[in-house]
Amino acid sequence: MNGIIELKGVSKTFRDFWLRPTVKAVDGLDLTVNEGEIFGLLGPNGSGKSTTIKMILGLLRPGEGEVRLFGLPPSDPAARKRLGFLPELSYLHPFLTARETLLYHAGLCGLDTKTARSRANELLEMTELVHAADRQVGGFSKGMARRVALASSIIGKPGLLILDEPTSGLDPVSTDEVKTLVKTLAKGGMTILMTSHLLGDAQDVCDRFMILNKGRSVAEGRVDAIGSSLQEYFLSKIGERRDFKVAPFLAQ
Amino acid sequence: MKSFLAIVLLELRRLWRSRSILVLLAACVGWMLAMPHLVKSDGTVEGARQIYVHFSLGGAFALTCIALASSGASVLSREREMRTLSLALTRPVKRFTLVFARIAALVASGAAVLAVCALVLFFNERDAGPCAHVLHPEMESLAEEAKRMYDYYMADPETPPEIKKAKKSVVMRILRQGALDHYQSIGTNDTAVWRFDSSALAPGAPLAVRLRFTNDFDMREDVRGDFSFGPWRGAISNITQAIVRVPLHHEEGGNPAAGAKPKDELVFTNNGATSLMLRPRKDIVLLAGADSFGSNLFRAWLELVSMLASLVAFAVFLGSGLGRSVAVFTCVAFMFVAVVSGDVIEQYPDQFETDRVDRIGLAITRAVEFASRPVNSLRPLSALSSGECVEKEEAALVVAMDAVLIPVVFAFLAAFILSRKED
Repeated sequence: MNGIIELKGVSKTFRDFWLRPTVKAVDGLDLTVNEGEIFGLLGPNGSGKSTTIKMILGLLRPGEGEVRLFGLPPSDPAARKRLGFLPELSYLHPFLTARETLLYHAGLCGLDTKTARSRANELLEMTELVHAADRQVGGFSKGMARRVALASSIIGKPGLLILDEPTSGLDPVSTDEVKTLVKTLAKGGMTILMTSHLLGDAQDVCDRFMILNKGRSVAEGRVDAIGSSLQEYFLSKIGERRDFKVAPFLAQ
Repeated sequence: MKSFLAIVLLELRRLWRSRSILVLLAACVGWMLAMPHLVKSDGTVEGARQIYVHFSLGGAFALTCIALASSGASVLSREREMRTLSLALTRPVKRFTLVFARIAALVASGAAVLAVCALVLFFNERDAGPCAHVLHPEMESLAEEAKRMYDYYMADPETPPEIKKAKKSVVMRILRQGALDHYQSIGTNDTAVWRFDSSALAPGAPLAVRLRFTNDFDMREDVRGDFSFGPWRGAISNITQAIVRVPLHHEEGGNPAAGAKPKDELVFTNNGATSLMLRPRKDIVLLAGADSFGSNLFRAWLELVSMLASLVAFAVFLGSGLGRSVAVFTCVAFMFVAVVSGDVIEQYPDQFETDRVDRIGLAITRAVEFASRPVNSLRPLSALSSGECVEKEEAALVVAMDAVLIPVVFAFLAAFILSRKED
């Protein structure tokens, strides 16, 4: 094992209160993300992307197999020190200001006060939030909250950034800004693992990808080697498409 | 340490910006200021002071406990619902720090609120006299007396068979309780002697005896008698059933510090017309002057804050594994049972005479009473209000146990639950 993220034979089965298995969310997954690349974890809803990410983050324990982050178990603080995470929704404390949110996350990363303040100022400028730095984030728009969450995920200057649906709910301009930012961070040496439903965005940004369906890997490769749009490739690999039976409903 | 401070600051900001700490502070200070106008005293200055000190700070403490225990029970569960806990768990922070910092922040806010209340009390009662060390008579231990009584009852053919068949531990517990209420009789013109460890007394400290007599038949007969304690003397003349404080005066006058260390024996001569009774373990103590009301108030505040720390730690521990509403309800229910458990146990001591359901209920009550001992004693309040000294050693022990050991244990348990609980 020598990737930044390594999963070997990882499975995860969720159980109910009586420990009876309810759903196998991930089934024998092997995954390696190498240093400096932007890796896209793609798949339809319920394919096991979020479960996989939670296992990488150490929020879930795999039922079988092994997860390694920088060669260490994800629960190891030394591994988490080099990790940044942007969740699908911007989980922010609404009573904190944007600056306080960044300083709080800087504190959790163990940064000293001087470094924390200077990085917070840099990130507020980078995300164009200087004018709103001292406003409570509870009153922010979704886009502004997203930018605060993104800034707080990189305040510790992580070696690995995990982005769960980073462009979810953003307008086209903000989406483009986020994509540019992701590419810039990767050029700076940061390894990035992202999930997205927006395959166009993934195609613009990712070097490599893996498509998950029903907890299993159904395709993996380089984005520039598929020879078609990622959307078409994705549908060809997933293979099934639901047609909602609308006519009977409309006929009533 | 930086992550610890970051979480403490986060919690303090939450309490401040939600205005909950301000509301609590206003409620507590309002209660402290309104108390003198709300309660009736027994008509004496000392009685009024006792009631004011006990119920003003006691009320503020109860309000603080309820508010911060509820807040503690919901602090982790709320963060789990908001998903901010998951985000914090991806940071290089130990779970213990995540929990312990929150306990520290809540306790710090509670300590600040109680400090303001203590200041209000201090300014209202700044002319209160010094507190007093309390010395109890030296007697055989409760366990020794209970053992002696047990052997006696088991050998006695008149002892009812249900007592002989009952579990030894149950009978011993009842006998220990009975030993506390063991009466001593003092006939007319008789003398009673109680031994005290006078080595703890500082030379020159003012001395007094505090006691309560009862009478064989009449609750309201006049009591007369003389006390002597080495060169110290005192006289009593009052109606029975009242708690009285008899100051002792140095017989030779002048400075009692010079070679006037009292002997160990307190002697009482009953000069009244009727015989008297008292429970030596409960009804008679020697009071020796100690330090100022302010110092005593500081030690009582320390003990109250420590008790609050234990309670908050328990609440946070509940919140680590339970949902918000269940954790808050469990915590408040536990507090309620803890408060009433002492009275319930005292009311129903004869466990072997009750039916099965009562026995189970009593067992649960005893368990809660035992588990909540660090926080269900209102000893600092009762000591402060009755002018007794909250001893330094006692305060240090309470701080070590309630403010350090118990919160650390609960924080470790909560951290373990967080590590087992999957998102």
